[in-house]
Amino acid sequence: MTYVEYKQLNPFQRFAYNLKKFFCNIPHAVGHFFVALGKAIVKFFVGIGKGFANYGKTFVKGDWATKLSYLIFGVGDLSKGKYYKGILFFAVEVLYILYMVFFGWGYLRMFPTLGTQAQRTEYINGVIPKQVPGDNSMLILLYSVLTLVITVVVFAIYITNIKDAYRHQIMKANGQKPTSFKDDMKQFLDGKYHITLMSFPVLMIGIFNVLPLIFMILIAFTNYDKQHMPPGTLFTWIGFDNFGSLFNLVEGAKKGYTFIKLTEWTLIWAVAATFSNYILGMIFALMINKKGIKFKSLWRTLFVITIAVPQFVSLLLMNQMLQSNGAVNIILSHLTNSHVEIQWLNSSATLARWVVIIINCWVGIPYTILSMSGILMNIPEDLYESARIDGAGPVKTFTAITLPYMLFVTTPQLITQFVGNINNFNVIYLLSGGSPTTQDYYQAGETDILVTWLFKLTMNSQDYGLAAAIGILVFVICATLSLIVYNNSKSMKDEEAFS
Amino acid sequence: MKKILAILLAGMMTATALVGCGEAAGSSSKADDSSKSDNGSSDAAKIEGSIVDDSYFGDEGTDSNPVTLKVWAPDAAVSLVKEQIEAFKKAYPNRKFKEISVVAQGENDAATNMLNDATTAADVFSFPSDQLNKLVDAGVISQVAFKDAVTEANAEETVTAGTLNDTLYAYPETNDNGYYLVYDKSVVSDDQAQTLEGILEACKKAGKKFIMDAGNGYYACTFAFTAGVKIDGLEEDGLTQKFAEYDEDDAVATLQAFAKLIKDYKGTFQSLEVANIASGFSSGKCGAGIDGSWDTASNQKALGDNFGAAKLPTINVNGTDKQLISMFGYKYIGVNGSSKFPATAQILAYYLAGEECQLQRAEKLGWGPSNKKVQENEVVTGSAVLKAIGEQAKNACVQVNVASTFWDPMANLGNKLIADNCDPSDAAAMKKLLNDTISNIKDEG
Repeated sequence: MTYVEYKQLNPFQRFAYNLKKFFCNIPHAVGHFFVALGKAIVKFFVGIGKGFANYGKTFVKGDWATKLSYLIFGVGDLSKGKYYKGILFFAVEVLYILYMVFFGWGYLRMFPTLGTQAQRTEYINGVIPKQVPGDNSMLILLYSVLTLVITVVVFAIYITNIKDAYRHQIMKANGQKPTSFKDDMKQFLDGKYHITLMSFPVLMIGIFNVLPLIFMILIAFTNYDKQHMPPGTLFTWIGFDNFGSLFNLVEGAKKGYTFIKLTEWTLIWAVAATFSNYILGMIFALMINKKGIKFKSLWRTLFVITIAVPQFVSLLLMNQMLQSNGAVNIILSHLTNSHVEIQWLNSSATLARWVVIIINCWVGIPYTILSMSGILMNIPEDLYESARIDGAGPVKTFTAITLPYMLFVTTPQLITQFVGNINNFNVIYLLSGGSPTTQDYYQAGETDILVTWLFKLTMNSQDYGLAAAIGILVFVICATLSLIVYNNSKSMKDEEAFS
Repeated sequence: MKKILAILLAGMMTATALVGCGEAAGSSSKADDSSKSDNGSSDAAKIEGSIVDDSYFGDEGTDSNPVTLKVWAPDAAVSLVKEQIEAFKKAYPNRKFKEISVVAQGENDAATNMLNDATTAADVFSFPSDQLNKLVDAGVISQVAFKDAVTEANAEETVTAGTLNDTLYAYPETNDNGYYLVYDKSVVSDDQAQTLEGILEACKKAGKKFIMDAGNGYYACTFAFTAGVKIDGLEEDGLTQKFAEYDEDDAVATLQAFAKLIKDYKGTFQSLEVANIASGFSSGKCGAGIDGSWDTASNQKALGDNFGAAKLPTINVNGTDKQLISMFGYKYIGVNGSSKFPATAQILAYYLAGEECQLQRAEKLGWGPSNKKVQENEVVTGSAVLKAIGEQAKNACVQVNVASTFWDPMANLGNKLIADNCDPSDAAAMKKLLNDTISNIKDEG
């Protein structure tokens, strides 16, 4: 379709065309992703190969000190007069060896089995039973991960040490003197300023994000559950069994069935919750912003005032109001003058799902109104004026100016909201708690989404391995969807459009 | 100069590595020593009543090693347990106690909290009998130190239910952990209290509610038990629930009868948490309810002279009256296996489960004792509630060897029976519900 043809379409046809294009593009986008991934992997291995080549080359070309640096950190630097750096390198090696001897190796040794000696009971004075701790699989896993990360870091330092030794050897051969400590420190405020700024945040992210993440991912490959619970009992590696049970679709296999059904509902919920909030919020924002509406700030305040009550409080209150003897039923009883007792959340799955989506509007729309009003006020007035002069009606101005502008600005926000809704724990857990219960699911109710299921699996039935596997899959779903949508959005492709 | 420095550094590094190895070997041999010394036993120690010989403390509670313990008790019992701990401290004047704290922790999820992190959980905690399997499987509960004394003092069934694989794992605390019918005598007559139909009719007439926590597996299992689907221990794997044989058609008919009754008396039959019963009695909105022994005090207070207690009623299934079968169990005091003061924790648990403490709880909280001597006490024999519980105990499944997968499917069964969209006349759906519930409890699939 040419540009001219496209411009002649009416808004609905355009929407249909874009939608079709989007879905036709998905295979292409996915293909593109895998090609890029393949390229990255190839690049990675080529990089490693190059690294090894350099490693050997440097050793052949190096003098005695550089060669000795392959065994003892910092010798090369020390022999060339770069004392502080050499001592630092050497200190790293000593500390690493001490760490491994006294702590790390003891855990890393048991990493392949996650412990063999279970807890046993002994008797003090032959009477008082005392449990003697055996191997603790969880601590072994945790400290092994720590040790592995430290090892990777030390290896990086080791490579740096060799490179540095060779660099100084060449510098010496060229008759240059190594830079002084003072000059190096000055560099951290000048050429290497980014390192000064970023090292602390990166360190913190490593400790508080990356380490636990690796730990959690590894848990997905173990049988850590209520029958394998440290410190009492051991758990061990089981490979992909947890993922296998989630994709086991044999008749009567409950975990697989639950996973598929809950994924289905999670996606329905995320789409419904995101777009109901977006569209209704936009309508309210437009109404408030319309010219000729009086007391604009009053209306805005009224809508936004629901934010003043913390979200979880509203949700818990709503939950109470929707109980069979709650406020909603009592009001209905008075209105109809008869006894009304509808189980809004505990009887029919369809009803409960509708209720959850509608209540979510209550807590979500105010935020949309807030951000939308801001964007609406930012649309240049001259666009509307020229549209009016050209004879465009209100519908035309909305579809041709307001909507494209809004979508352009808010697509990234929509994606975040969508992903946020996939993981919207609060609304589901506090409002319905997953009910109505059902005998068809494993440890989940009809309105449970994947994250609340994950929570129930960890808190109620201690299925940590299974829950970790679900966590990984939720991440994969969220990451794939966001990447595809974001890469296909206008905001990404055409950053300059409205600036 | 530089060469010498480099070589020196290399030498130092090798030395530290060697030192490191030597140290590690030394510490491991030390650990072996301490485990050996544990085997020596002293026969001199004696036990009198709920007080044990001071020597059992070992090296705990000395000036250099004062005792710090944490105790979990249910909300209602916290202040009493605090008093009892003060008495405990006085009973052992030679020992030094830094702090024994009492934290309110509902017994219904004591095991869950123990499993989440045993190292920060309480040293001494009370829990109902059904959680024993979970605690033992996870290895977080320590076995009982004073087994002979406990066996002698307590009723046989409470000791049996606390024993797994010939090992006694917890100190019996009560033998009344069950529920029964409480009713307002001004609403429901003693005669009407015999049948569920009578109770519901009387409540409806008076415009009051009948409260049962039907969405909770602990109460909802009444539906299944009454239908004949009774638990019968565990399979050999120690995890899977076994059921006694039952007649499926009869079971389905019973469930249909329950569902029909609930539907017919909608508005009167209310599924609410048991705490609503006492408050409902006070506000005059509740006529009768199914409540546990632990709420006796508050219910009595709310109703005064109109307080009525009886075994659970019967339900009419196709013309025959069937007695409601309940879940009945015992409560225990357990000791955390990873306690820093295992001896003191054992002695404290033994004391709290002893005769004096059980008597105090029977007097002040109305808890039925497991101690044989206290059972003969007037406080117990004269109590209408404990009598009702005793009678209900004859029509009950004992809450022992209950699989951890039992509760959620039972809660679901209750939820489905009270749901708006439940159709009492649909026998096929009811049959599917029953079979699904059983297969879920057995954790098939």
